[in-house]
Amino acid sequence: MTWAAGPLRSRFALRLALLGVLLTCVFVVDTVTDREIAVAVFYVGVILVGIGMLPKRGVAALACACVVLTVVSLLLSSHGSRESGLANAVISISAIAITTYLGLRLVTAVAAVHESRAELARVARQSRLGELAASIAHELNQPLAAIAASGNAALNWMDREPPNLQRAHASVERIVSDANRASDVVARVRGLVTGAAPQREPLSINSVIGEAVELARHEMDRRDITLRLDLADNLPTIWADPIQLQQVVANLLVNAIEAMHQTPSPERELSIASCTSSGAIVIAVTDSGIGLSSEAETRLFDAFWTSKQDGLGIGLTISRAIIEAHSGRIWATPRSTGTTVQFSLPFGRTDGA
Amino acid sequence: MAPEPSAETSSNGQPVVFVVDDDPSVRAALEDLFASVGLCAMAFQTAQEFVSHLGSIEPAPGCVVLDIRMPGQNGLDFQTDMAGLGIHMPVIVITGHGDMQLAVRAMKQGAIDFLPKPFRDQDLVVAVQTAIERDRLRRQNDANVADLRERWTSMRQGERDVMDGVVRGLLNKQIARELNVRDITVRVRRRRVMRKMQANSVAELVRMAQVLAR
Repeated sequence: MTWAAGPLRSRFALRLALLGVLLTCVFVVDTVTDREIAVAVFYVGVILVGIGMLPKRGVAALACACVVLTVVSLLLSSHGSRESGLANAVISISAIAITTYLGLRLVTAVAAVHESRAELARVARQSRLGELAASIAHELNQPLAAIAASGNAALNWMDREPPNLQRAHASVERIVSDANRASDVVARVRGLVTGAAPQREPLSINSVIGEAVELARHEMDRRDITLRLDLADNLPTIWADPIQLQQVVANLLVNAIEAMHQTPSPERELSIASCTSSGAIVIAVTDSGIGLSSEAETRLFDAFWTSKQDGLGIGLTISRAIIEAHSGRIWATPRSTGTTVQFSLPFGRTDGA
Repeated sequence: MAPEPSAETSSNGQPVVFVVDDDPSVRAALEDLFASVGLCAMAFQTAQEFVSHLGSIEPAPGCVVLDIRMPGQNGLDFQTDMAGLGIHMPVIVITGHGDMQLAVRAMKQGAIDFLPKPFRDQDLVVAVQTAIERDRLRRQNDANVADLRERWTSMRQGERDVMDGVVRGLLNKQIARELNVRDITVRVRRRRVMRKMQANSVAELVRMAQVLAR
């Protein structure tokens, strides 16, 4: 059940209620006091609170409501002079308008800062990964070049008349040691990617999902994505590395969010479900995005394959490495609109760790 | 099949392939590959090591197989410096990642070939043979020019003046007038020029003059 979204949603409702109370208070006081007293100026406070918690359109609506209430109060108030009441109302409305304008500009500026910071982090990560990939390619190419050259040398020694078996033998021995060196490189890379020593501990998958959701929350809000959590209660604990699993879930969320880039905003829906199925926990992340092309379906988990313009093509490869290191499985299913990516993890301790 | 070379013999005029690569397995494999096709190879870990070794060996036709990515000086920078160091051997560039820009730079700097690792041995062997052949021709040409220059220096000034006139297509009489000597002197000197330059015809003498003028 929606335990991860629950507290957040109720906190939001509480704040909204507080805003309503504040608005009502200002309205009531403004109406009952003399027209000469410009209580309506305090709507500015309501707007400042609203800026912190509402989207831009909400803030605009709130400002309109404040203006309307100011006018209504002016009409309802019976004490004091009409002229000064009108002047006060105009001043209050100006204050509300100016505050709203400045507040919205502030929100835009903050969003721009967030965006550029995220962009910077992405670029930094990408160039680091790019360098990493280049250095891995170089590390592997050296022994491969040596193996190819030694192999040809061995053939040449054997093709001689008479064959020089001693030299051929030496060449083949070098091939074996270079092949070992290449597989050492691969082992090192795998260790690097999945984390050399996974720190396994008993954990609840729902809390892992909750933490990953928190990481992606800002991005989902920014893109108007509706999140649906359908998490089964009383799931058995699993024996796993929380950081690695969080990495997998966060990666699936980012993919889902980016897949809905072109989806019209009311249809942007991301759902995360957890359940048990034949001795394993299954987690499904579903988006309403562009879905999978048939090429994407077959190559999704291939290293360095990507459908994103600036993607590296290693997110799902790493995810799969992590899930398989936990004796689980990860797979993707296209839907009529969007994609579901699921992974399963067996209960209990599956490794000797 | 060529006689099997031992890696150390490089002073008997036999071509040598100089491999400069920081990776020990690549060095060993390439030495072995070249040995297996009857080429003498010497491998060095850095460009500096190669340069300091080169001072001590006899000139023989050869080429350099140069890795780009090396600690210390990178292969392409070394390629630029080679002429300044008096190394005129052709270069074949090999690299761990075949970057277009690097390839263009290497070829502009006169490399015979640019091979991304892992390469086909046939490509490398062919490139090396081409490079050695080019070096052999260059050396032969250099030797010819040196020889001609020596012949030319062995002549006296008066003979050189006559040769100059002959090459310009002047008649003996015209040369005599120009040099202010008698016809008979020109004829005698002309015969000496042909003998000292070992030229069988005026046409050959003209060709020699062209080479000397370069």
